[in-house]
Amino acid sequence: MNARRVIAVAWKEAREIWRDRLYFGLAFALPVILMIVYCYGLVQDVENAPFAILDHDRSTLSRDYARRFLESRYFDFKGYAADGREAERLLVDARVRMVLVVPPGFERDLREGRPVAVQTIFDGTNTTPIRTLRGYVESIHRALGAELRADRLARTRGLAPERAEVLLQPLRVETRYLYNREVRALWAIAPSMIMFILMMTSPLLTALSIVREKETGAIYNIYSATITRAEYLLGKLLPNSVVSFLNILVLFVLATQWFGAPFEGSFRLFAIASLGFVLCTGCLGLLVSLLAKSQQAALMISVICGVVVALNFSGMTTPPQAMPPSLHATAQLFPAMAFRNVVLGTFLKGLDARLLWKDVAYFLLYAALAFALCATLFRKRTKA
Amino acid sequence: MRPPEPPHLLGLSRRLRQIRVMTGKELRQLVRDRALLIFIVYSFTLHMFVAAGSEASDLRDARFLVRDLDRTPASRELVSRFLPPHYRPAGEVAHPGEALDRLDRGTAVMLLEIPEGFSRTIDEGVEPATVQLLVDTSSANTGYLASAYSARIAARYGAERAQENLARAGAVREQLPGIESRDRVWFNATLDEKWFSTISELLTMITVSCILLPAAALVREKERGTIEQLLVSPLTPFQVMFPKVLAMIVVTLFGSAVAYFGILLPVYGVPARGSLLLFFGVTALYAFANAGLGLLAATFTRRTAQVGMLMLLTVMPIIMLSGIRAPLESMPGWLQAAIWFSPLRHFLEVGYGILLRGAGVAELSDSIAVIAALGAVLFTAGLLRFRRQLG
Repeated sequence: MNARRVIAVAWKEAREIWRDRLYFGLAFALPVILMIVYCYGLVQDVENAPFAILDHDRSTLSRDYARRFLESRYFDFKGYAADGREAERLLVDARVRMVLVVPPGFERDLREGRPVAVQTIFDGTNTTPIRTLRGYVESIHRALGAELRADRLARTRGLAPERAEVLLQPLRVETRYLYNREVRALWAIAPSMIMFILMMTSPLLTALSIVREKETGAIYNIYSATITRAEYLLGKLLPNSVVSFLNILVLFVLATQWFGAPFEGSFRLFAIASLGFVLCTGCLGLLVSLLAKSQQAALMISVICGVVVALNFSGMTTPPQAMPPSLHATAQLFPAMAFRNVVLGTFLKGLDARLLWKDVAYFLLYAALAFALCATLFRKRTKA
Repeated sequence: MRPPEPPHLLGLSRRLRQIRVMTGKELRQLVRDRALLIFIVYSFTLHMFVAAGSEASDLRDARFLVRDLDRTPASRELVSRFLPPHYRPAGEVAHPGEALDRLDRGTAVMLLEIPEGFSRTIDEGVEPATVQLLVDTSSANTGYLASAYSARIAARYGAERAQENLARAGAVREQLPGIESRDRVWFNATLDEKWFSTISELLTMITVSCILLPAAALVREKERGTIEQLLVSPLTPFQVMFPKVLAMIVVTLFGSAVAYFGILLPVYGVPARGSLLLFFGVTALYAFANAGLGLLAATFTRRTAQVGMLMLLTVMPIIMLSGIRAPLESMPGWLQAAIWFSPLRHFLEVGYGILLRGAGVAELSDSIAVIAALGAVLFTAGLLRFRRQLG
């Protein structure tokens, strides 16, 4: 391996990246756009769900009931419906996702110690948020019901309300959320997206840079030159890996500053692991370039494979602890799972090198093996 | 040889015939190009993967640790209620540090800690017994569900014990108030998720093909130079561009009819509660708006390879953010404002409105007007840029 020749290829590659406006924009704008699109598109926190109330009771208690929904950040009150017809129109026009129907005699029945049924009418077109909304509605109903029961018991037995509450529900659960204190999906998704996006763009950049030379025919200069296969591939790998590493830094800033994800761990560790990861994904790009003959094919293969691997073999859809052994073994073939572990570990869990050194070592070993494989398979002679 | 007549002298019928011939040419080209047909399949499958990944799945096999300081039948009873498929026991720990280590390594996602004297406190009923729950929320959905289901299990257990204790104390069973939740789901009474997802897929497919195919057709003509031939022919830029849109509308209407009558209706039983005529009419309008967007975008690209980029930079955001994946109301205000310009956002209301909610023109007039306006603006902008570039 001759370092001067590697540097020569790398330097030429760097200048090409710099000069090709489209490629330059692509290399740096694409990850940012994908980050914003995916973070907002994948977060399915149900918040500000528009709803209306059809209040047949119009009593103090029914207004108190409504207030509990008004104060919740999960719901966005769009007003009272005057009658059933108006409620129906609101749903058909898709101006609300649900209507709460408070029955007549709501206050009287509850004050006299009888249970009442409140009906919730959901717009069933989009089924995804309904389960979550139903859970929110039930928990508000449960809390109000428990309060009313405790009140009642306190009055009939002459107990203090706190005492009555304990009599009815002697068990309390104190929950502490570890790593993501506010249980915000965005905080967990934004760091994962760094892995997801790089799994697509990093192989793409390396693959395109070689396939472009195949398409234009410039690669024949390489075929006939004294430069060895490994030197050429390394010269391609290094500058593109630097671009990908810079992308990780940009996405890091986006995740922490724009999306507000907490970063608890050591930045140095994160940076070292990221360097290892971009070398791995760069080598995957080299593998793609062995298969693809046109830039369009390279684009499709990298994006499709990137998405498939990042979704199925990273732990994003199935957490690693719940993976069946075969899936877990397959996932080891790609650097996605280890990098997600590093990203979540450094962002949310604040882990140190004691628990993450294995992943870093894995990246280095992986990159070395993948590079050796590419160098062996890369042919300087085209088949006749 | 006679020079061609200037276009303004041609009769209307002749112009219409030219457009018809050009549309036929576009359709034939579309059908013959394997790569483009594959391209549709590609974006469709990719989209399916993305959709599968974003699905909020239920809690499965959440591995939990137990630190039981009480060691009574009552505490064991509580632990035994954390059952599969939601939960799976991952063993007992003696020290909190050990549990933290296991959570750090990701081999467990939750710790349930039962304090000493748990059983006694419950039976006395003077003070509440408190169990501690430590939940890994680095995956927010798993963490939220793990804690929500735990709270439900504990509440049920606590209420049962309270009933037993009250009964033992000889209290008469008195009636107590409570609020019962009754649900009704309109427009989709059985909560069949396939209705929503298949309509979403159909609308997504329409969007992808309507933007990409006209763009690819125009870029390919630019790349191969055949556009020059069209420009020296007695055709106006409008007559070159509009047939591409028209061909797309035909393909879209055909595709959606096949999808609806061939798959959605017979396989999934997706109803059409409103007028199907209106639905296909607005679909044509929507195809026009999207084709306009595609052509406008194509005036910015020179090579077919860049059409792939176009897909990532315009189609993907439109699909991800228009309200199919995540509810619009949970997005920040500036993003909601930007999404207003996506035709898909309005077409969603029309599609779901007509098929599931049974809405008619009166309810949907706003959305239809916006789609028409966006289409007119996009197509005109594309035409102007095209004229300036090649006219």
